[in-house]
Amino acid sequence: MKPAKIKKKYVVYTLITVIFLIVSTFIPGFLSVRNILNIIRQSSIIAICACGMTMVIIIKGIDLSVTGVLSFCAMVNGLLLLQGWPIPIAMLAGLLVGTLLGIFNGFMVDRLGIPAFITTLVVGNVGGGLALLLNSGRSIGGFPNAYVFMGNGTFLGIPVSNYIMALFVVVSSIIMAKTRLGVYIYAMGGNETVVKQQGISTTAINFFVYGFSGFCIAMAGILLSGQLDTVHPTQGEPYQLDAIAACVIGGVSMLGGEGKIYYSLIGALIIGVQRNILNLLGIHPFYQNIFIGIIIIVIVAVNIYKKNRAIELSKVF
Amino acid sequence: MGTTDNYALKTESFSIGSFLRQFVKTKGSVVIFIILWILASLFVQNFFSLNNMLLIIKQAAIPMIACLGITVVLMTGGIDLSLGYTLGLCSISVGIFVKSMGLPIWISIFLTLCIGLLVGLFNGILVQYVKVPAFITTLGSGYIIFGLAQIISSGSDINRLPAAFRAIGVTEFAGLNTTVFIAFGICLIMYYLLHLSTFGRALSAFGYNNKTARMSGIRTERINVLAYMISSFLVAIAAILLTIRVNCAQPTMGGGIYTFEVITGAIIGGASLFGGVGTVIGSVFGILIVKVIENCINLMNVSYYTYQAFQGIVILLAIIFENVKNRKL
Repeated sequence: MKPAKIKKKYVVYTLITVIFLIVSTFIPGFLSVRNILNIIRQSSIIAICACGMTMVIIIKGIDLSVTGVLSFCAMVNGLLLLQGWPIPIAMLAGLLVGTLLGIFNGFMVDRLGIPAFITTLVVGNVGGGLALLLNSGRSIGGFPNAYVFMGNGTFLGIPVSNYIMALFVVVSSIIMAKTRLGVYIYAMGGNETVVKQQGISTTAINFFVYGFSGFCIAMAGILLSGQLDTVHPTQGEPYQLDAIAACVIGGVSMLGGEGKIYYSLIGALIIGVQRNILNLLGIHPFYQNIFIGIIIIVIVAVNIYKKNRAIELSKVF
Repeated sequence: MGTTDNYALKTESFSIGSFLRQFVKTKGSVVIFIILWILASLFVQNFFSLNNMLLIIKQAAIPMIACLGITVVLMTGGIDLSLGYTLGLCSISVGIFVKSMGLPIWISIFLTLCIGLLVGLFNGILVQYVKVPAFITTLGSGYIIFGLAQIISSGSDINRLPAAFRAIGVTEFAGLNTTVFIAFGICLIMYYLLHLSTFGRALSAFGYNNKTARMSGIRTERINVLAYMISSFLVAIAAILLTIRVNCAQPTMGGGIYTFEVITGAIIGGASLFGGVGTVIGSVFGILIVKVIENCINLMNVSYYTYQAFQGIVILLAIIFENVKNRKL
């Protein structure tokens, strides 16, 4: 399998470089440092969500609550900011809410055995409904300058958002690659029964993974509201698909046990670039979604097909 | 009689208690509906009137059709998250056929139903043969369908549909309209399909344990694909009727919220997410419960946003209740 994997990576990188070169001839300034840093800034939202989503998909779960939790946490954070709460406290409140919703997801999946897709879907819906409810469907805006700086300001020439994204990616990667928890997460994706029999608490792992995902989504929502200087109750919608697509493109397998945070980051950047290019070309986000939907289905299908074939071929009878 | 011979069939005495227990277990949604209805009649103003009852029935008719469709898919252990978007696609399609292209009404309807079948075929093939998990397939296909609907409509609605076309669904009849009767007819057909035919039994067997069903000789591939096709077919019917009702073909009709509402109805009605379980009566009353709640929310002037958040909690409770009930079996 190794030769095939290496080929795929190089194909993807060459493709990206080619696309970049083609686009830069059509759109002046596309390859400028400023534009690229900007693209990364816009992708950072997706990338942060993808950190949590990667872990969830690795343990064979899914988190469909991105839309709702993102909007809801951003709304909580925003409303508190407008009421005059200090920025760190308001952010902490938003993060806490997201983490709690995530832990609730983990609770439903682990303790009550309810499939992840419906739990997270419902929690996402409830979150979205609450986001609408908290301010009667109205948007809020006009946040303190220090807060907007987080989303739009630069430090040493690089947008602050990128630093935050880098922090999340680095921390997640360390968790997955260097800690025992990371090993357990991969193990649980591979074979949950064995993990349980080893005496490792799958409950704790579930709680952590879904809780961390909620935490990431909350941070993404807060960051987005900082970037846009508004909170709109439905602003989480595009990120659901993008977060999953980023992980899928990054090679996280739906069958569990496989995937790296760094690759999901690359996936997020690819999605961000693609959206950026399509926006510049004047293609409406609705149409972009078709493309992303097809990509997701194709990649997941190919991935699962290859896995199943490998399983079939390795069967003795 | 009642001997304790191990090899003889135990004669179970019929009792009201056991009958009721059986009824609640399988048709819990009917009980909940009755309780809800009584509570609403007592405590919600203007609820208990003939007009309101007829209104609820008229409002529940169209989602009911889609709900029966998704019940079939749920019985296979899958899900169809593209439901709401298929609704939009079929809605704008029938609008284009009837108004923009001026095709005869029945041809338009036929073509739209074909679109529904194709969507179901697409979903079904991906789930069954390519083995992509249903939620990913239908999530992706949902977005694709939504984009397609936007493309063929150029983002705009089609208003003022021909009167002859509208007559199919809007003709009034003893306080109700033809849509309700069509929905009722579909309920009867689905009842036959799910409970009285071998297809229904095969479907249930497939849902409970697809490996055993396969080994029993049931053509599981066909059933899985057919389930998605039936679901999308019924969604196409619902889309046509809804388009008629609002007199506007919209590519944005339905959407994620509609999907959610219909799935809520099916789950409250007892359809299990794990497959195998699902009844027509359960789903019918499940949707009725959802619509009664919506009706009460409207009558009590509660904010729609509260209702949306509340809806999620209702479905969570329904799922938890389902799960706990199944564990005890």
